[in-house]
Amino acid sequence: MIMILYWMLPMILFIFGLFCFVSNRKHLLSMLLSLEFIVLMLFFMLFIYLNLLSYEIYFSMMFLTFSVCEGALGLSILVSMIRTHGNDYFQSFSIM
Amino acid sequence: MFNNSSKILFLTIMIIGTMITVTSNSWLGAWMGLEINLLSFIPLLSDNNNLTSTEASLKYFLTQALASTVLLFSSIILMLKNNMNIEINESFTSMIIMSALLLKMGAAPFHFWFPNMMEGLTWMNALMLMTWQKIAPLMLISYLNIKNLLLISVILSVIVGAIGGLNQTSLRKLMAFSSINHLGWMLMSLMISESVWLIYFMFYSFLSFILTFMFNIFKLFHLNQLFSWFMNSKVLKFTLFMNFLSLGGLPPFLGFLPKWLVIQELTFCNQYFTLTIMMMSTLITLFFYLRICYSAFMLNYYENNWTINTQFNNMNTNLYLICTFFSIFGLFLISLFFFML
Repeated sequence: MIMILYWMLPMILFIFGLFCFVSNRKHLLSMLLSLEFIVLMLFFMLFIYLNLLSYEIYFSMMFLTFSVCEGALGLSILVSMIRTHGNDYFQSFSIM
Repeated sequence: MFNNSSKILFLTIMIIGTMITVTSNSWLGAWMGLEINLLSFIPLLSDNNNLTSTEASLKYFLTQALASTVLLFSSIILMLKNNMNIEINESFTSMIIMSALLLKMGAAPFHFWFPNMMEGLTWMNALMLMTWQKIAPLMLISYLNIKNLLLISVILSVIVGAIGGLNQTSLRKLMAFSSINHLGWMLMSLMISESVWLIYFMFYSFLSFILTFMFNIFKLFHLNQLFSWFMNSKVLKFTLFMNFLSLGGLPPFLGFLPKWLVIQELTFCNQYFTLTIMMMSTLITLFFYLRICYSAFMLNYYENNWTINTQFNNMNTNLYLICTFFSIFGLFLISLFFFML
Protein backbone atom coordinates (compact mmCIF):
# COMPACT_ATOMS: atom_id res chain seq x y z
CA MET A 1 0.00 0.00 0.00
CA ILE A 2 2.90 2.32 0.70
CA MET A 3 4.12 1.63 -2.83
CA ILE A 4 1.00 3.26 -4.20
CA LEU A 5 1.85 6.37 -2.24
CA TYR A 6 5.37 6.22 -3.63
CA TRP A 7 3.89 6.28 -7.10
CA MET A 8 1.11 8.75 -6.50
CA LEU A 9 3.38 11.65 -5.67
CA PRO A 10 5.27 11.92 -8.97
CA MET A 11 2.14 11.10 -10.96
CA ILE A 12 0.10 13.84 -9.37
CA LEU A 13 2.95 16.31 -9.61
CA PHE A 14 3.42 15.38 -13.27
CA ILE A 15 -0.19 16.21 -13.99
CA PHE A 16 0.17 19.50 -12.13
CA GLY A 17 3.27 20.23 -14.18
CA LEU A 18 1.37 19.53 -17.39
CA PHE A 19 -1.32 21.87 -16.25
CA CYS A 20 1.22 24.62 -15.61
CA PHE A 21 2.86 23.95 -18.97
CA VAL A 22 -0.30 24.56 -20.94
CA SER A 23 -1.58 27.50 -18.95
CA ASN A 24 1.32 29.93 -19.35
CA ARG A 25 0.24 33.02 -21.13
CA LYS A 26 3.00 35.52 -20.90
CA HIS A 27 6.58 34.39 -21.10
CA LEU A 28 8.14 31.54 -22.98
CA LEU A 29 10.67 31.03 -20.21
CA SER A 30 7.97 30.00 -17.73
CA MET A 31 6.84 27.36 -20.18
CA LEU A 32 10.36 26.01 -20.38
CA LEU A 33 10.59 26.01 -16.60
CA SER A 34 7.44 23.95 -16.28
CA LEU A 35 8.85 21.59 -18.92
CA GLU A 36 11.88 21.09 -16.69
CA PHE A 37 9.58 20.40 -13.77
CA ILE A 38 7.70 17.80 -15.80
CA VAL A 39 10.96 16.14 -16.75
CA LEU A 40 12.04 16.11 -13.11
CA MET A 41 8.86 14.35 -12.10
CA LEU A 42 9.39 11.84 -14.87
CA PHE A 43 12.90 11.25 -13.57
CA PHE A 44 11.49 10.61 -10.11
CA MET A 45 8.94 8.17 -11.48
CA LEU A 46 11.54 6.41 -13.59
CA PHE A 47 13.82 6.11 -10.60
CA ILE A 48 11.11 4.50 -8.50
CA TYR A 49 10.29 2.13 -11.34
CA LEU A 50 13.89 1.16 -11.92
CA ASN A 51 14.24 0.28 -8.26
CA LEU A 52 11.95 -2.65 -8.93
CA LEU A 53 14.38 -4.03 -11.47
CA SER A 54 17.57 -4.83 -9.64
CA TYR A 55 20.40 -3.66 -11.82
CA GLU A 56 18.75 -1.30 -14.29
CA ILE A 57 19.18 1.88 -12.33
CA TYR A 58 21.73 3.19 -14.83
CA PHE A 59 19.00 3.94 -17.32
CA SER A 60 18.03 6.94 -15.23
CA MET A 61 21.37 8.47 -16.23
CA MET A 62 20.51 8.03 -19.89
CA PHE A 63 17.13 9.57 -19.35
CA LEU A 64 18.75 12.49 -17.57
CA THR A 65 21.13 13.03 -20.48
CA PHE A 66 18.29 13.14 -22.96
CA SER A 67 16.17 15.48 -20.93
CA VAL A 68 19.06 17.84 -20.27
CA CYS A 69 19.71 17.99 -24.01
CA GLU A 70 16.07 18.78 -24.53
CA GLY A 71 16.20 21.55 -21.95
CA ALA A 72 19.29 23.01 -23.58
CA LEU A 73 17.55 22.90 -26.93
CA GLY A 74 14.59 24.75 -25.47
CA LEU A 75 16.88 27.42 -24.14
CA SER A 76 18.63 27.81 -27.46
CA ILE A 77 15.26 28.24 -29.15
CA LEU A 78 14.47 30.88 -26.55
CA VAL A 79 17.70 32.68 -27.41
CA SER A 80 16.92 32.45 -31.11
CA MET A 81 13.50 33.88 -30.44
CA ILE A 82 14.88 36.79 -28.48
CA ARG A 83 17.28 37.48 -31.32
CA THR A 84 14.54 37.70 -33.88
CA HIS A 85 11.58 39.06 -31.93
CA GLY A 86 13.32 41.00 -29.18
CA ASN A 87 11.42 39.50 -26.28
CA ASP A 88 9.83 36.25 -25.27
CA TYR A 89 6.25 37.36 -24.90
CA PHE A 90 3.61 35.18 -26.45
CA GLN A 91 1.82 38.26 -27.72
CA SER A 92 4.58 38.95 -30.18
CA PHE A 93 3.96 35.70 -32.05
CA SER A 94 2.13 35.97 -35.31
CA ILE A 95 -0.94 33.83 -35.82
CA MET A 96 0.33 32.43 -39.15
CA MET B 1 21.48 21.50 -49.30
CA PHE B 2 24.67 19.51 -49.67
CA ASN B 3 26.89 22.56 -49.49
CA ASN B 4 26.20 22.77 -45.82
CA SER B 5 27.88 20.12 -43.68
CA SER B 6 25.87 20.75 -40.55
CA LYS B 7 22.70 20.05 -42.48
CA ILE B 8 24.07 16.70 -43.57
CA LEU B 9 24.90 15.92 -39.94
CA PHE B 10 21.46 16.83 -38.64
CA LEU B 11 19.74 15.02 -41.47
CA THR B 12 21.74 11.86 -40.77
CA ILE B 13 21.01 11.99 -37.06
CA MET B 14 17.33 12.58 -37.77
CA ILE B 15 17.26 9.44 -39.91
CA ILE B 16 19.17 7.52 -37.23
CA GLY B 17 16.64 8.66 -34.62
CA THR B 18 13.75 7.31 -36.63
CA MET B 19 15.60 4.07 -37.22
CA ILE B 20 16.21 3.70 -33.48
CA THR B 21 12.52 4.19 -32.80
CA VAL B 22 11.35 1.77 -35.44
CA THR B 23 13.79 -0.96 -34.50
CA SER B 24 13.48 -0.70 -30.74
CA ASN B 25 11.80 -3.42 -28.74
CA SER B 26 10.67 -1.40 -25.77
CA TRP B 27 8.88 1.86 -25.26
CA LEU B 28 11.94 3.38 -23.59
CA GLY B 29 14.05 2.76 -26.68
CA ALA B 30 11.28 4.19 -28.84
CA TRP B 31 11.15 7.28 -26.69
CA MET B 32 14.92 7.71 -27.04
CA GLY B 33 14.70 7.53 -30.82
CA LEU B 34 11.91 10.09 -30.85
CA GLU B 35 14.00 12.43 -28.71
CA ILE B 36 17.01 12.08 -31.00
CA ASN B 37 14.76 12.80 -33.94
CA LEU B 38 13.39 15.94 -32.29
CA LEU B 39 16.80 17.15 -31.18
CA SER B 40 18.22 16.96 -34.67
CA PHE B 41 15.19 18.22 -36.56
CA ILE B 42 14.98 21.52 -34.69
CA PRO B 43 18.32 22.89 -35.98
CA LEU B 44 17.19 22.05 -39.50
CA LEU B 45 14.10 24.15 -38.99
CA SER B 46 15.58 27.23 -37.40
CA ASP B 47 18.39 27.62 -39.85
CA ASN B 48 17.65 31.00 -41.33
CA ASN B 49 17.18 33.71 -38.77
CA ASN B 50 13.87 35.17 -39.77
CA LEU B 51 10.81 35.52 -37.62
CA THR B 52 8.62 32.83 -39.05
CA SER B 53 11.10 29.98 -38.99
CA THR B 54 12.01 30.72 -35.37
CA GLU B 55 8.37 30.65 -34.39
CA ALA B 56 7.82 27.45 -36.34
CA SER B 57 10.71 25.71 -34.58
CA LEU B 58 9.43 26.98 -31.24
CA LYS B 59 5.94 25.63 -31.77
CA TYR B 60 7.33 22.34 -32.98
CA PHE B 61 9.62 22.01 -30.00
CA LEU B 62 6.92 22.74 -27.42
CA THR B 63 4.35 20.34 -28.80
CA GLN B 64 6.83 17.55 -29.41
CA ALA B 65 8.41 17.92 -25.97
CA LEU B 66 4.98 17.68 -24.39
CA ALA B 67 4.14 14.59 -26.41
CA SER B 68 7.45 12.93 -25.51
CA THR B 69 6.95 13.47 -21.80
CA VAL B 70 3.40 12.15 -21.88
CA LEU B 71 4.60 9.12 -23.85
CA LEU B 72 7.25 8.34 -21.27
CA PHE B 73 4.79 8.83 -18.42
CA SER B 74 2.30 6.36 -19.83
CA SER B 75 4.96 3.85 -20.81
CA ILE B 76 6.28 3.85 -17.23
CA ILE B 77 2.73 3.20 -16.01
CA LEU B 78 2.41 0.40 -18.57
CA MET B 79 5.61 -1.21 -17.34
CA LEU B 80 4.49 -0.71 -13.76
CA LYS B 81 1.45 -2.82 -14.50
CA ASN B 82 3.69 -5.66 -15.59
CA ASN B 83 5.86 -5.53 -12.51
CA MET B 84 3.49 -4.95 -9.65
CA ASN B 85 0.16 -6.42 -8.70
CA ILE B 86 -1.81 -3.35 -9.57
CA GLU B 87 -4.90 -3.46 -11.70
CA ILE B 88 -4.39 -0.83 -14.35
CA ASN B 89 -6.43 -1.23 -17.48
CA GLU B 90 -4.17 -1.71 -20.44
CA SER B 91 -6.47 0.15 -22.77
CA PHE B 92 -6.17 3.18 -20.51
CA THR B 93 -2.41 3.45 -20.90
CA SER B 94 -2.63 2.53 -24.58
CA MET B 95 -5.02 5.40 -25.06
CA ILE B 96 -2.62 7.86 -23.44
CA ILE B 97 0.30 6.55 -25.51
CA MET B 98 -1.78 6.82 -28.65
CA SER B 99 -2.81 10.38 -27.82
CA ALA B 100 0.83 11.33 -27.35
CA LEU B 101 1.76 9.73 -30.69
CA LEU B 102 -1.13 11.40 -32.49
CA LEU B 103 0.04 14.72 -31.08
CA LYS B 104 3.51 13.98 -32.42
CA MET B 105 2.17 13.38 -35.87
CA GLY B 106 -0.35 16.13 -36.16
CA ALA B 107 -3.42 13.96 -36.55
CA ALA B 108 -6.79 15.40 -35.58
CA PRO B 109 -7.93 16.09 -32.87
CA PHE B 110 -4.35 17.13 -32.08
CA HIS B 111 -3.61 18.85 -35.34
CA PHE B 112 -3.85 22.51 -34.42
CA TRP B 113 -0.13 23.16 -34.38
CA PHE B 114 0.45 21.63 -37.80
CA PRO B 115 -0.81 24.19 -40.37
CA ASN B 116 0.49 27.07 -38.25
CA MET B 117 3.88 25.54 -38.21
CA MET B 118 4.02 24.62 -41.88
CA GLU B 119 3.42 28.24 -42.76
CA GLY B 120 6.80 29.19 -41.38
CA LEU B 121 8.95 26.55 -43.01
CA THR B 122 10.91 26.34 -46.21
CA TRP B 123 9.70 23.75 -48.68
CA MET B 124 12.40 21.20 -47.97
CA ASN B 125 11.79 21.35 -44.23
CA ALA B 126 8.07 21.10 -44.90
CA LEU B 127 8.67 17.97 -46.96
CA MET B 128 10.65 16.46 -44.10
CA LEU B 129 7.89 17.31 -41.68
CA MET B 130 5.14 15.93 -43.91
CA THR B 131 6.81 12.68 -44.83
CA TRP B 132 9.71 11.53 -42.70
CA GLN B 133 8.52 12.73 -39.30
CA LYS B 134 5.41 10.60 -39.62
CA ILE B 135 7.21 7.28 -39.86
CA ALA B 136 8.23 6.83 -36.23
CA PRO B 137 4.88 7.68 -34.58
CA LEU B 138 2.94 5.61 -37.11
CA MET B 139 5.12 2.59 -36.51
CA LEU B 140 4.65 2.96 -32.79
CA ILE B 141 0.90 3.25 -33.21
CA SER B 142 0.91 -0.03 -35.09
CA TYR B 143 2.07 -1.73 -31.88
CA LEU B 144 -0.95 -0.55 -29.93
CA ASN B 145 -4.19 -2.46 -29.90
CA ILE B 146 -6.81 0.18 -29.43
CA LYS B 147 -9.61 0.66 -31.90
CA ASN B 148 -11.83 3.40 -30.52
CA LEU B 149 -9.43 6.28 -30.38
CA LEU B 150 -7.90 5.30 -33.70
CA LEU B 151 -11.26 5.34 -35.45
CA ILE B 152 -12.15 8.70 -33.89
CA SER B 153 -8.83 10.10 -35.00
CA VAL B 154 -9.22 8.72 -38.52
CA ILE B 155 -12.68 10.19 -39.00
CA LEU B 156 -11.72 13.54 -37.52
CA SER B 157 -8.48 13.70 -39.50
CA VAL B 158 -10.09 13.12 -42.85
CA ILE B 159 -12.89 15.58 -42.11
CA VAL B 160 -10.55 18.26 -40.74
CA GLY B 161 -8.09 17.79 -43.59
CA ALA B 162 -10.83 18.13 -46.15
CA ILE B 163 -12.79 21.01 -44.72
CA GLY B 164 -9.81 22.90 -43.38
CA GLY B 165 -8.19 23.02 -46.77
CA LEU B 166 -11.18 24.57 -48.48
CA ASN B 167 -10.43 28.13 -47.51
CA GLN B 168 -6.66 28.15 -47.96
CA THR B 169 -4.71 30.18 -50.43
CA SER B 170 -1.29 29.59 -49.00
CA LEU B 171 0.30 26.55 -50.62
CA ARG B 172 2.05 25.38 -47.47
CA LYS B 173 -1.17 25.36 -45.48
CA LEU B 174 -2.89 23.59 -48.35
CA MET B 175 -0.29 20.87 -48.28
CA ALA B 176 -0.57 20.76 -44.48
CA PHE B 177 -4.29 20.05 -44.58
CA SER B 178 -3.78 17.59 -47.37
CA SER B 179 -1.19 15.91 -45.19
CA ILE B 180 -3.69 15.68 -42.31
CA ASN B 181 -6.19 14.08 -44.66
CA HIS B 182 -3.67 11.55 -45.93
CA LEU B 183 -2.65 10.89 -42.35
CA GLY B 184 -6.21 9.79 -41.63
CA TRP B 185 -6.00 7.34 -44.50
CA MET B 186 -2.63 6.10 -43.31
CA LEU B 187 -3.93 5.50 -39.81
CA MET B 188 -6.79 3.50 -41.23
CA SER B 189 -4.43 1.48 -43.40
CA LEU B 190 -2.44 0.62 -40.26
CA MET B 191 -5.48 -1.18 -39.00
CA ILE B 192 -5.46 -3.35 -42.10
CA SER B 193 -1.82 -4.34 -42.25
CA GLU B 194 1.62 -2.79 -42.21
CA SER B 195 2.32 -3.57 -45.87
CA VAL B 196 -0.69 -1.55 -46.98
CA TRP B 197 0.51 1.31 -44.81
CA LEU B 198 3.96 1.12 -46.36
CA ILE B 199 2.55 1.23 -49.87
CA TYR B 200 0.34 4.19 -49.01
CA PHE B 201 3.17 6.03 -47.31
CA MET B 202 5.61 5.51 -50.16
CA PHE B 203 3.19 6.70 -52.79
CA TYR B 204 2.20 9.70 -50.71
CA SER B 205 5.86 10.63 -50.08
CA PHE B 206 6.65 10.31 -53.76
CA LEU B 207 3.79 12.60 -54.79
CA SER B 208 4.57 15.11 -52.06
CA PHE B 209 8.18 15.09 -53.14
CA ILE B 210 7.34 15.99 -56.74
CA LEU B 211 5.13 18.89 -55.79
CA THR B 212 7.45 20.18 -53.10
CA PHE B 213 10.44 19.88 -55.39
CA MET B 214 8.84 22.06 -58.03
CA PHE B 215 7.54 24.55 -55.49
CA ASN B 216 11.01 24.79 -54.03
CA ILE B 217 12.74 25.41 -57.33
CA PHE B 218 10.38 28.14 -58.40
CA LYS B 219 9.82 29.49 -54.88
CA LEU B 220 6.06 29.28 -55.04
CA PHE B 221 4.29 29.90 -51.75
CA HIS B 222 0.91 31.29 -52.68
CA LEU B 223 -1.85 30.44 -55.07
CA ASN B 224 -1.42 33.64 -57.10
CA GLN B 225 2.19 32.73 -57.76
CA LEU B 226 1.10 29.33 -58.97
CA PHE B 227 -1.09 30.69 -61.72
CA SER B 228 1.20 33.42 -62.94
CA TRP B 229 4.28 31.22 -62.90
CA PHE B 230 6.18 31.26 -66.15
CA MET B 231 7.72 28.25 -67.77
CA ASN B 232 9.12 28.04 -71.25
CA SER B 233 7.14 24.95 -72.04
CA LYS B 234 3.44 25.00 -71.26
CA VAL B 235 3.35 21.21 -71.17
CA LEU B 236 5.60 21.20 -68.11
CA LYS B 237 3.33 23.64 -66.36
CA PHE B 238 0.36 21.47 -67.25
CA THR B 239 2.02 18.41 -65.77
CA LEU B 240 2.49 20.12 -62.44
CA PHE B 241 -1.23 20.52 -62.11
CA MET B 242 -1.72 16.93 -63.07
CA ASN B 243 0.56 16.06 -60.18
CA PHE B 244 -1.79 18.02 -57.96
CA LEU B 245 -4.68 15.92 -59.17
CA SER B 246 -2.67 12.78 -58.62
CA LEU B 247 -2.09 13.78 -54.99
CA GLY B 248 -5.80 14.29 -54.61
CA GLY B 249 -6.49 10.74 -55.70
CA LEU B 250 -8.09 11.14 -59.09
CA PRO B 251 -8.37 7.76 -60.85
CA PRO B 252 -6.23 7.59 -63.91
CA PHE B 253 -3.24 8.88 -61.94
CA LEU B 254 -0.91 7.14 -59.54
CA GLY B 255 -2.35 8.69 -56.39
CA PHE B 256 -5.48 6.64 -56.83
CA LEU B 257 -3.69 3.35 -56.30
CA PRO B 258 -3.05 3.52 -52.53
CA LYS B 259 -6.57 4.75 -51.91
CA TRP B 260 -7.96 1.97 -54.04
CA LEU B 261 -5.99 -0.56 -52.05
CA VAL B 262 -7.26 0.78 -48.73
CA ILE B 263 -10.83 0.93 -49.99
CA GLN B 264 -10.69 -2.67 -51.16
CA GLU B 265 -9.18 -3.94 -47.95
CA LEU B 266 -11.68 -2.02 -45.87
CA THR B 267 -14.62 -3.49 -47.75
CA PHE B 268 -13.23 -6.95 -46.97
CA CYS B 269 -13.24 -5.96 -43.30
CA ASN B 270 -16.80 -4.60 -43.55
CA GLN B 271 -15.85 -1.15 -42.32
CA TYR B 272 -18.40 0.57 -44.50
CA PHE B 273 -19.27 3.53 -42.31
CA THR B 274 -15.70 4.74 -41.84
CA LEU B 275 -15.01 4.06 -45.48
CA THR B 276 -17.91 6.22 -46.61
CA ILE B 277 -16.75 9.12 -44.46
CA MET B 278 -13.20 8.76 -45.75
CA MET B 279 -14.31 8.70 -49.36
CA MET B 280 -16.58 11.69 -48.99
CA SER B 281 -13.82 13.74 -47.42
CA THR B 282 -11.42 12.67 -50.17
CA LEU B 283 -13.91 14.05 -52.64
CA ILE B 284 -13.81 17.36 -50.82
CA THR B 285 -10.00 17.30 -50.90
CA LEU B 286 -10.13 16.54 -54.59
CA PHE B 287 -12.53 19.44 -55.01
CA PHE B 288 -10.09 22.01 -53.77
CA TYR B 289 -7.34 20.56 -55.93
CA LEU B 290 -9.64 20.48 -58.91
CA ARG B 291 -10.65 24.07 -58.29
CA ILE B 292 -6.99 25.11 -58.62
CA CYS B 293 -6.46 22.99 -61.72
CA TYR B 294 -9.68 24.19 -63.33
CA SER B 295 -8.60 27.81 -62.95
CA ALA B 296 -5.15 27.01 -64.25
CA PHE B 297 -6.33 25.02 -67.24
CA MET B 298 -9.31 27.04 -68.37
CA LEU B 299 -8.54 30.66 -67.60
CA ASN B 300 -5.99 32.95 -69.13
CA TYR B 301 -3.39 34.39 -66.76
CA TYR B 302 -0.75 36.97 -67.29
CA GLU B 303 2.63 35.43 -66.59
CA ASN B 304 5.74 37.25 -65.48
CA ASN B 305 8.53 36.25 -67.80
CA TRP B 306 11.24 38.57 -66.56
CA THR B 307 12.60 36.34 -63.81
CA ILE B 308 15.46 34.13 -64.88
CA ASN B 309 15.50 30.88 -63.00
CA THR B 310 18.94 29.31 -62.96
CA GLN B 311 17.96 26.45 -60.69
CA PHE B 312 15.78 24.80 -63.27
CA ASN B 313 18.66 23.17 -65.12
CA ASN B 314 18.85 19.94 -67.08
CA MET B 315 19.17 17.66 -64.10
CA ASN B 316 16.19 19.12 -62.31
CA THR B 317 14.11 19.02 -65.45
CA ASN B 318 14.99 15.37 -66.03
CA LEU B 319 14.21 14.39 -62.46
CA TYR B 320 10.91 16.22 -62.63
CA LEU B 321 9.98 14.62 -65.92
CA ILE B 322 10.77 11.11 -64.75
CA CYS B 323 8.81 11.57 -61.53
CA THR B 324 5.89 13.14 -63.37
CA PHE B 325 5.84 10.27 -65.83
CA PHE B 326 5.49 7.80 -62.99
CA SER B 327 2.91 9.96 -61.32
CA ILE B 328 0.70 10.23 -64.37
CA PHE B 329 1.11 6.81 -65.96
CA GLY B 330 2.08 4.81 -62.90
CA LEU B 331 -1.25 3.13 -62.44
CA PHE B 332 -1.02 1.32 -65.79
CA LEU B 333 2.64 0.50 -65.27
CA ILE B 334 1.98 -1.08 -61.91
CA SER B 335 -0.79 -3.25 -63.28
CA LEU B 336 1.70 -4.43 -65.89
CA PHE B 337 4.07 -5.26 -63.05
CA PHE B 338 1.50 -7.56 -61.62
CA PHE B 339 1.38 -9.56 -64.84
CA MET B 340 5.13 -9.68 -65.20
CA LEU B 341 5.79 -11.35 -61.87
